[in-house]
Amino acid sequence: MKITALLVLKCDSDSSDPIILANASDVTHFGYFQRPSIRQFIVFVGRTVAKRTPSGQRQSVQHEEYKVHAYNRNGLCAVGFMDDHYPVRSSFSLLNQVVDEYQKNFGESWRTAQTDSTETWQYLNDALVRFQDPAEADKLLKIQRDLDETKIVLHKTIDSVLARGEKLDSLVEKSSDLSAASQMFYKQAKKTNSCCTIL
Amino acid sequence: MSAALGKTSYRDRTPEFLSVAERLKKSISSGSNADVSSSSSGKPDGTRSAVAVQSEFNKRASKIGFGIHQTSQKLSKLAKLAKRTSVFDDPTMEIQELTAVIKQDITALNAAVVDLQLVCNSQNESGNISTDTTTHSTTVVDNLKNRLMGATKEFKEVLTMRTENLKVHENRRQLFSSSASKDAANPFVRQRPLASRSTASASPAPPPPWANGSASSSSSQLFPSRQSDVESQPLLPQQQQQRQQQQQQQQQMVPLQDSYMQSRAEALHNVESTIHELSSIFTQLATMVSQQGELAIRIDENMDDTLTNVEGAQGQLVRYLNSISSNRWLMIKIFFVLVVFLMIFLFFVA
Repeated sequence: MKITALLVLKCDSDSSDPIILANASDVTHFGYFQRPSIRQFIVFVGRTVAKRTPSGQRQSVQHEEYKVHAYNRNGLCAVGFMDDHYPVRSSFSLLNQVVDEYQKNFGESWRTAQTDSTETWQYLNDALVRFQDPAEADKLLKIQRDLDETKIVLHKTIDSVLARGEKLDSLVEKSSDLSAASQMFYKQAKKTNSCCTIL
Repeated sequence: MSAALGKTSYRDRTPEFLSVAERLKKSISSGSNADVSSSSSGKPDGTRSAVAVQSEFNKRASKIGFGIHQTSQKLSKLAKLAKRTSVFDDPTMEIQELTAVIKQDITALNAAVVDLQLVCNSQNESGNISTDTTTHSTTVVDNLKNRLMGATKEFKEVLTMRTENLKVHENRRQLFSSSASKDAANPFVRQRPLASRSTASASPAPPPPWANGSASSSSSQLFPSRQSDVESQPLLPQQQQQRQQQQQQQQQMVPLQDSYMQSRAEALHNVESTIHELSSIFTQLATMVSQQGELAIRIDENMDDTLTNVEGAQGQLVRYLNSISSNRWLMIKIFFVLVVFLMIFLFFVA
């Protein structure tokens, strides 16, 4: 359930290589000396995948133990490197969000970019951290999870209500016994009172 | 006068026939000129009208026969086309056009035959024609009907054969190409409503790529172009592997779009059904609680009864206690009685 990297690229046509607009990657679980090469690898694979994704399409490519998901919208392409357990749908909704956010923040300025931009975009880094849990990205997943928890809680409630029912049953019995006993007691007391007035 | 033409030989008696007709006409017209009475003029008119009706009948019958012949020719063409269909070169449009045309023809011919039969019946009822003519006309009508039925049956057979062929082709296509072709028709029917529903991907670009990228044939066309693209560039091993995977993934692009939408739809369905379950659980809970409320009321009543009883008993006991504690004078009387008894007892013993 891990996102390794998120990239935003600009791909105009199939002829030229896409240009990287933002890059956020988490390579902490690789060894220290492998990190630069891993980063390069991410950049390269991201470029290739973005180049092969036609406009308006979503694509998922399996590469070794990673799934690379790409979403291209009108030339602005978001690429995510996730492991196999990350649900596909959540990853695409995450990419949707990234693209929307990028367009909101930078408007159309990215269209004129000619070289890879090296500045970091804080939102992407935050997103990388926040969306390690797929439920955050995908509202449907979150709703489903909440509903499941509610269902579990309700099941427990029903169990406790059944137990309450049983206890109420026993209480009813005991109270009826008590009422019968008190009736006997009253009769007995009346009898005692009524018999000894002669003496 | 006999002439051998093709396979059959016939005697051309047309000029004799024409002379007879002219003579008849002359005799009729001379008859009508000589006889002014209406009945005789009525009779030749009747015969002429009978003849006219008969020839009308014949003309129609011959037209219908010709139509049936043409339709059966078109049917044979259609049968050939239907048999001919191969996997890639499917003349669907022609076949459909031809089918429509043939259907129209057959319905028109049907209507014409029915008309002809009506005419024949009216002719028979109007009388003043020989039995030979009636039998002749009925036979002709029956013959035409049979031929039309035969043509319709052939048409049906051709259509069934065509559907079987289509099925065979579909199976063969599935065998040879992978899942891409199977979804060729469906994703585009389903994609549009879902595409309009999804909030994020509401770009107008989606329909054209899907429409362009239909069927395995076009994706396999993408295949060769990618191949040539690849070979023209220098390759590292990783790059090669990546591009191969890319090519494989290219073909599955269209089903992936569809599967994304499908998974979203599925998730929504799940959410909806979960909510339904939750609502049923809530109603069950409410029922159980109301039932148990009734139990609580019973317990409350029982406790009230017990309270009343115990209070009553307590009152009795208090009264008893009062009577016991305030009855000293009665007790003195009792002691006196006891002492008297003791005295008597002592007297008797001692």
